Amino acid sequence: MKEYKYIGKKVPRIDGRDKVTGRTRYSTDLYPEGMLWAKVKWSDRVHARIVRLDVEKARSHPGVAAVLTHEDIPGHNGFGIITPNWPVLCSDRVRYRGDALALVAAETEEAAEEALALIEVDYEDLPILDTPEESLASGAFAIHEHGNVMHEMELFKGDAGRALEESELVLEKTYVTQFMEHAYIETEGGVGTYDEDTGVITIWCGDQYAFRDQLQIARSMDWDPLKIRVIGSPTGGAFGGKDEISVQIHLALLAVHTRRPVRLHWTREESIRVGPKRHAMTTTFRIGASRDGTLRAIDVNVVANTGAYDTIAAPVLNLALESSPGPYRYGDAHFKGRAVYTNNAMGGEFRGFGAPQVVFGVEQELDRLAEELGMDPIELRLKNAVELGDISALGHSLRTSAGVKETLEVARDTELWRERDRIKAELDRSHPRRRHGVGVASEWHAVGLGVGIPDFSNIILEFDAAGNITMRTGAIEIGQGNLTAYAQMLAEALEYDIDKIDVIHGDTFESPDSGTVTASRSVLINGNAILDAVAKLKPILLERASRLLEVPAGELAYGNGVVSCAARPERSVSLAQICADAVEAGAPLKVTGAAIMAVADKDFGEGLPHNYYTYITQLALIGVDVETGEVSLLRGISIPEMGRAINIHGVEGQSEGGLVMGQGYTLYEEVVVREGQFLNTGFTTYILPTSLDVPEQETIIVEKPERTGPYGAKGVGEAVTVPITPAIANAIFDAVGVRMDSLPITPEKVLAALKEKR
Amino acid sequence: MKEIEIKFTCNGKEVTASAPPSLTLLKFLRERLGLTGAKAGCERGECGACTVLLDGKPVDSCLVLAVQVQGRRVETIEGLAEGEKLHPLQEAFVAETAIQCGYCTPGMIMAAKGLLEDKPDPTPEEIRRGLSGNLCRCTGYTKIFTAVEAAAKKMRGA
Repeated sequence: MKEYKYIGKKVPRIDGRDKVTGRTRYSTDLYPEGMLWAKVKWSDRVHARIVRLDVEKARSHPGVAAVLTHEDIPGHNGFGIITPNWPVLCSDRVRYRGDALALVAAETEEAAEEALALIEVDYEDLPILDTPEESLASGAFAIHEHGNVMHEMELFKGDAGRALEESELVLEKTYVTQFMEHAYIETEGGVGTYDEDTGVITIWCGDQYAFRDQLQIARSMDWDPLKIRVIGSPTGGAFGGKDEISVQIHLALLAVHTRRPVRLHWTREESIRVGPKRHAMTTTFRIGASRDGTLRAIDVNVVANTGAYDTIAAPVLNLALESSPGPYRYGDAHFKGRAVYTNNAMGGEFRGFGAPQVVFGVEQELDRLAEELGMDPIELRLKNAVELGDISALGHSLRTSAGVKETLEVARDTELWRERDRIKAELDRSHPRRRHGVGVASEWHAVGLGVGIPDFSNIILEFDAAGNITMRTGAIEIGQGNLTAYAQMLAEALEYDIDKIDVIHGDTFESPDSGTVTASRSVLINGNAILDAVAKLKPILLERASRLLEVPAGELAYGNGVVSCAARPERSVSLAQICADAVEAGAPLKVTGAAIMAVADKDFGEGLPHNYYTYITQLALIGVDVETGEVSLLRGISIPEMGRAINIHGVEGQSEGGLVMGQGYTLYEEVVVREGQFLNTGFTTYILPTSLDVPEQETIIVEKPERTGPYGAKGVGEAVTVPITPAIANAIFDAVGVRMDSLPITPEKVLAALKEKR
Repeated sequence: MKEIEIKFTCNGKEVTASAPPSLTLLKFLRERLGLTGAKAGCERGECGACTVLLDGKPVDSCLVLAVQVQGRRVETIEGLAEGEKLHPLQEAFVAETAIQCGYCTPGMIMAAKGLLEDKPDPTPEEIRRGLSGNLCRCTGYTKIFTAVEAAAKKMRGA
């Protein structure tokens, strides 16, 4: 592969210096002059009719500037990425404990809190539907007018029923997963202002897509979107949880109403109770195979607990189906999914987007099959692994780089896998109460938004008289390091000094719309837009240089920041000189770049399927304390194939953070909701992995450049958090011979399984 | 509420200010002094994003009242670099990419500084223990451990 100056290197983050000095200003760091403190009155009940909502006492409380209800919303009273049916402020009904009823803005935080307590609400309770089973029962109370099934999806390839009947071996098992909290360290928050002279509403709020927020605010405010400025970057962690609206519309309402700056920052408890979670899902697999280990058919049935409103639940369920077969070939397949309303936690978008729930199951089924056949788990996977040119389990052609085989081969060659018996035996000896195991799992993870969903990017490059470049992108820096990757790609493409590049990001007034920062898409799509801009720039540079040098453009070439003439080397002009000339002429250089995501050759509807996938294999070494049931993750190895790594530290960082997030999902984390009440809304009861819990980690990057990706890159942000879960579960089976089919794998569950086995 | 006068050292400078008795040090730093490097991640001592040093020891500034710093020495992330010259911990966090979203970073670096003042040559286990009050959701901690080790080495002149 070609050796580059910036691509594939450990380039320091361009925002690193500001982040280590405390200079980075997050939206929650703003306290504008003359601001008011806002608070939200949340529902006291799980599911109820609102009989009376009286805010008069709160309005007349000293220090209170405004108390707003649904009557104060000028436009549509709802938001949602796909279907905007999540009320901005409830008018007649509450459907979960995170529903908002009223907003308070006051001179002090204390006054705002006191006013909340003065809001009077009379409710008439309705039945609480806590699980999809209850919601689907005949005669169940309807959470929405159209019933309790929010979304259904079914996909067929061939005749899975018959193929299963004809299979020599059929396995069947159901897996259950829990609600998971994003737990970004910056909870949702920001500041809103309203400028009466210009009519502009400005919302600073760390998000994932400022332009969609602008649209959603405009819809509820009945406002010209061009007079709504959303500054969404940087964000203190998002993981999918800040793609949806949180405080933005509430801030806009209060700022316009009070004509003063307003600050609203959710507490940790609010963040856990109100915001979307990783859907709880129940998935049943039936997989048929031949005795030689060839997979023949798969039948998958997913039921997702989607909570009270839609947000983006349908695409999450769809991607769960697409992810569910894993990166393997099957002759016949049948996928069915339903997303069901409940009065439980809100299901929504979360890194992995439906995949972690199903991969937890299918990768254990692969291991069960290997066990049944007496095959090595990696050999079984290799035998069935997809390759470029294959037809997928869904029925579309795999036309982009597909390196799951390579990741499995690397996994097979690791010391941990080759020497696993010795490693386990040594650990068993040194830790007599623990039994040790090694597990493996793989995944394919879709990159991009999928067929039929607008998936594009725009980039603007501007050049000043000194040859400094300002790159404008709507992309949000949520922590993943995308801005650094963009600067690297621009510097590489222009053969230019990266320190001369400044990036303006995530601001609807200062940057173009580059689409949402989700779906592992932002390096691929924005990288292609950058390359498009550079391709457009180069002829302009030659033409300008031709005039300056009085040499025909055809005799000129651009390289290393200079346009020169091969025949007459003394005739050259630097990019900076061309920029200076353009500024002097009153028309500074400026180019735009655009990209559209390539799509698959089939369209199964509603965003399915995808054209690009990240492939990954992860390995886990665990110890099970047979007296307490506690599982410790000792080592984790990630082997991602993401096309080409733009920034090695960036990929490693994603991989290490993703693996630990997956560790939390597997072993510790669950948002516990009983009868609609949230039982663990802080970090003493919602347990995140700490520095004491994390394993020794290694990332082995497999490169298989994709010709339609920038420098061969695809994406890596999500896959890295997925297969570690079944890898841990497979390692537990390896250690103590019990199959864990529900998450999180708590000591109690392990002990119960061990007891049952005895 | 009646405010109480407090005098203390903040990042090497004498500060005289007043605060109501119920105001936390975190809110005091952020809202009164404009030092927003310490972050409010939970405001109940669970996440460590608000970590500052009080007389050289890491504390959750959300669990300390402003009036408790009377006569004491407070260090925040804003005081760590000398002008444009980064502290070795800051340099190492940048060099090792021990940062992602950056929201936990100021607290993490201050906790690491407190650890290294106490133990200039920490074992890997001591680093893990020293940072165990600081949650990071992005990095998986691995690069943070490497950065703290590298900074410790540099600070010892090794």
